[in-house]
Amino acid sequence: MRAVAQKRSQFARQSLRQLNSTTKLSLLNQIELAPPDKILGLTEAFNRDPNPDKVNLTVGIYKDNSGKVTTLPAIARAQRIIDHHDVLNRNLSYLPIKGGKDYADSVKNFLYDESCAPSAKSAGYQNTPNYGKDLLANNRISFTQTLSGTGALAICAKFLSLFVSKKVFIPNFSWANHKNIFSSNGFKEFKNYSYYDAKTGQLTVDQWLKDLRAQVSADSSKEPSCIILHACCHNPTGLDPTREDWDKIIDTINELKMIPIIDMAYQGMESGDLIKDAYVLRKCIDPKYVCDNGIFLCQSFAKNMGLYGERVGSLSIVSPSNAPPTVKEAVDSQLKRIIRSIYSSPPGYGSRVANLVLTDPELKQQWGKDVQNMVARLQGIRNDLAGNLDWSAVNDSQQHGMFFFTGFPLKTVQKLRDEYSIYLTDDGRLSLSGINDSNIEYVSDTFKTIRQE
Amino acid sequence: MSQLTVLNEIPELPADALFGIKQRIAADDRTPLVDLGIGAYRDDEGKPWILPAVRAAEAKIHADTHTYNHEYLPIGGLPALTRGAARVLFGDDLADESSERIVSVQSISGTGALHIAAKFLASFFPERTVYLSDPTWANHKAIFEAQGMRTATYPYWDAATKSLRFAEYLAAVKEAPEGSVFVLHACAHNPTGLDPTQEQWEQLVQAIAESGHIALFDSAYQGFASGSLDKDAFAVRLGVEKLRHSSPVLVCQSFAKNAGMYGERVGCFHLVIPDQGEETNATVAPAVRSQLQRIVRSEVSNPPAYGAKIVGTILDDPVLTNQWHDDMVTMASRIGEMRRALRDKLVELKTPGNWDHIVGQCGMFSFTGLSPAMVKRLEEEHAVYLVSSGRASIAGLNAGNVEYVARAFDEVVRFCNAEDAKTKAEGAKL
Repeated sequence: MRAVAQKRSQFARQSLRQLNSTTKLSLLNQIELAPPDKILGLTEAFNRDPNPDKVNLTVGIYKDNSGKVTTLPAIARAQRIIDHHDVLNRNLSYLPIKGGKDYADSVKNFLYDESCAPSAKSAGYQNTPNYGKDLLANNRISFTQTLSGTGALAICAKFLSLFVSKKVFIPNFSWANHKNIFSSNGFKEFKNYSYYDAKTGQLTVDQWLKDLRAQVSADSSKEPSCIILHACCHNPTGLDPTREDWDKIIDTINELKMIPIIDMAYQGMESGDLIKDAYVLRKCIDPKYVCDNGIFLCQSFAKNMGLYGERVGSLSIVSPSNAPPTVKEAVDSQLKRIIRSIYSSPPGYGSRVANLVLTDPELKQQWGKDVQNMVARLQGIRNDLAGNLDWSAVNDSQQHGMFFFTGFPLKTVQKLRDEYSIYLTDDGRLSLSGINDSNIEYVSDTFKTIRQE
Repeated sequence: MSQLTVLNEIPELPADALFGIKQRIAADDRTPLVDLGIGAYRDDEGKPWILPAVRAAEAKIHADTHTYNHEYLPIGGLPALTRGAARVLFGDDLADESSERIVSVQSISGTGALHIAAKFLASFFPERTVYLSDPTWANHKAIFEAQGMRTATYPYWDAATKSLRFAEYLAAVKEAPEGSVFVLHACAHNPTGLDPTQEQWEQLVQAIAESGHIALFDSAYQGFASGSLDKDAFAVRLGVEKLRHSSPVLVCQSFAKNAGMYGERVGCFHLVIPDQGEETNATVAPAVRSQLQRIVRSEVSNPPAYGAKIVGTILDDPVLTNQWHDDMVTMASRIGEMRRALRDKLVELKTPGNWDHIVGQCGMFSFTGLSPAMVKRLEEEHAVYLVSSGRASIAGLNAGNVEYVARAFDEVVRFCNAEDAKTKAEGAKL
């Protein structure tokens, strides 16, 4: 009897085994091809394109007038110093989970002291109190070095979804990766707010606020809603609200008890003035707002320092003014746990460079000039395009940063790619720095032809 | 309702144990002071060591002013790195022969690779149990559980005999539900420093194949353990060959230790898809690759460039590659010497117990067998720091401190043994 039973169970195990091994294989076979990334995938297509006149206007990387990615003078100097420095270049040890203390101190100082105290040079700011400095003094900022802006958004999303909220409002036009980051890090509910009207090419701030009021008041759950705000140089439209608009927007967000997530990827790229561009941050930390569930700042040095691939950025969580100090400690400890299970500790090199630029007065001054020069070139291209094309929209005073939003429908974008080898992202976004003296005529002429068709 | 409570209710977690040691060391001004906690290589003067191959690669990169810049890497990472890394891991023959089946993406060192593995498994192989060795690296469990995977353990270390519980280990592989995920330390097991023999690996991989399990190799110490990349890759290559027709093989590879790139976060995740014929392979591999890239894109967009360029440059240049091989021999032999020196000294001092396991183990660590009380006394009385499990980082030893450490071990072993005897005697009296 026993032998038979044993045999039977052996047989059962064996057939189960066979079944399982087919399932196992087919599990991999069932994996679908994930759609190629909307932006970075295009560069691959561009690289394959044999047309010698091809123009890549897709990726948000600054290129000089000869079409080359160069290292900013301040960064190049910082690198040389590090290369020849006995201490800075003698140690590739692990950084702490949340990054180095030097980096944290210099970035916090830059963001919450300097960026929150616009100098008398900037018109209209003479008497603005420095609320950021108070945050530093009261130890209310949980600060983490991150893998650039994406890393900051990912950790932010993970933290919020674990402890606070899984709901987020995203502008109807936004960076393609926003939704991907939040959905892959625990967020469940995605809502759009009206930001831009493709027909008129204008911002729709009034509708935006109406959307928020309608949707938040209709939401009866206790879970607060988060909202992603592009701090400046909105991606992809390049259009930003005016200061007056921002005041209204941030009033409304606070009135509705929403949690602001400030995505500040382009500080300095709007006006050429790093400090001036931090307006949304300054506005959000105004103590007249309670911000019960904190303020989240995701910040990157990818664009303004040109440290793209080195992945240098930060996440700050500002705890509410009325929270006991234990809240910050608890938040810090949870951030560490999250990071420890994703990548343990951040990469060192880029943060050493950024830290040096932020702490050496000469380098810092040079950096300010570097940012100004980039913005001046971008603005020049904008003006030239406007002149060539006679499009009033190109030179709209509210258009900032690295991008121009053409408003071209997908069909046109595809035609530009297939017939003219001019690469824009699918949403019609054009990265201005890809244009230079050698291709501006070709691009302008092609756009004119396309528009006539 | 006050929403404030949401943040207020977040519990504070205890600090990381290793981090605690670091803090206590920073506050300790005794000399000599010996740090055997941290898992990072130190030279014979106790200093962090930048490999000559890394120095040379850095110089080469910086000299090339035409192409050196900070542009974004592709989502999947630097091709020179991922390509070269696969050759390091699988060897030229296997890498060439299986190239259509190997999908590689750059990762934020070993942790990042394990995280990608966990996220991938959680998406496409949910419900599977992930088996971890008992004991294992403290972070393994957290990495998989953070992605919602269930974890369990398989027997590994026998504290009493300081040896491998091989029979129980093998039985656990055979008894686990079909299709389970087995996390295997490719070499230099962390924290015990004890690896299966080649014959034992044969049996383990055979059992994994028969049970249709998924093998996940954590390869953090290749070349660092023995000085030879090939020798340290034995288990991984065996796995890829034997599991060719049964299940995917996942490999998490780090260059933190073997290239000393700790803080630059250089690693790769490789997934070897099972061989189902050219046609099927050609559709499965791109799908897997696209999903791995989606994971990367949602967390870091693209991986950090600097360290990747250094390792990629080393792997692309035969002269630098040779230098790197020599550098690994330098590290592995110094650690081997320190193992022998510590064991010999303990034998010379006639320290109670057998200390041969220190020499039998390999890699960065030794599971000394010292009790938590002994570890505590080492720190308090002798300023010798190790984690409470008794794991000592051998890299912290050098010619200047090994005798001091042996004498400290000797004192705490004798002291604690005597204390235990006293307690026992008093217990008997009562």
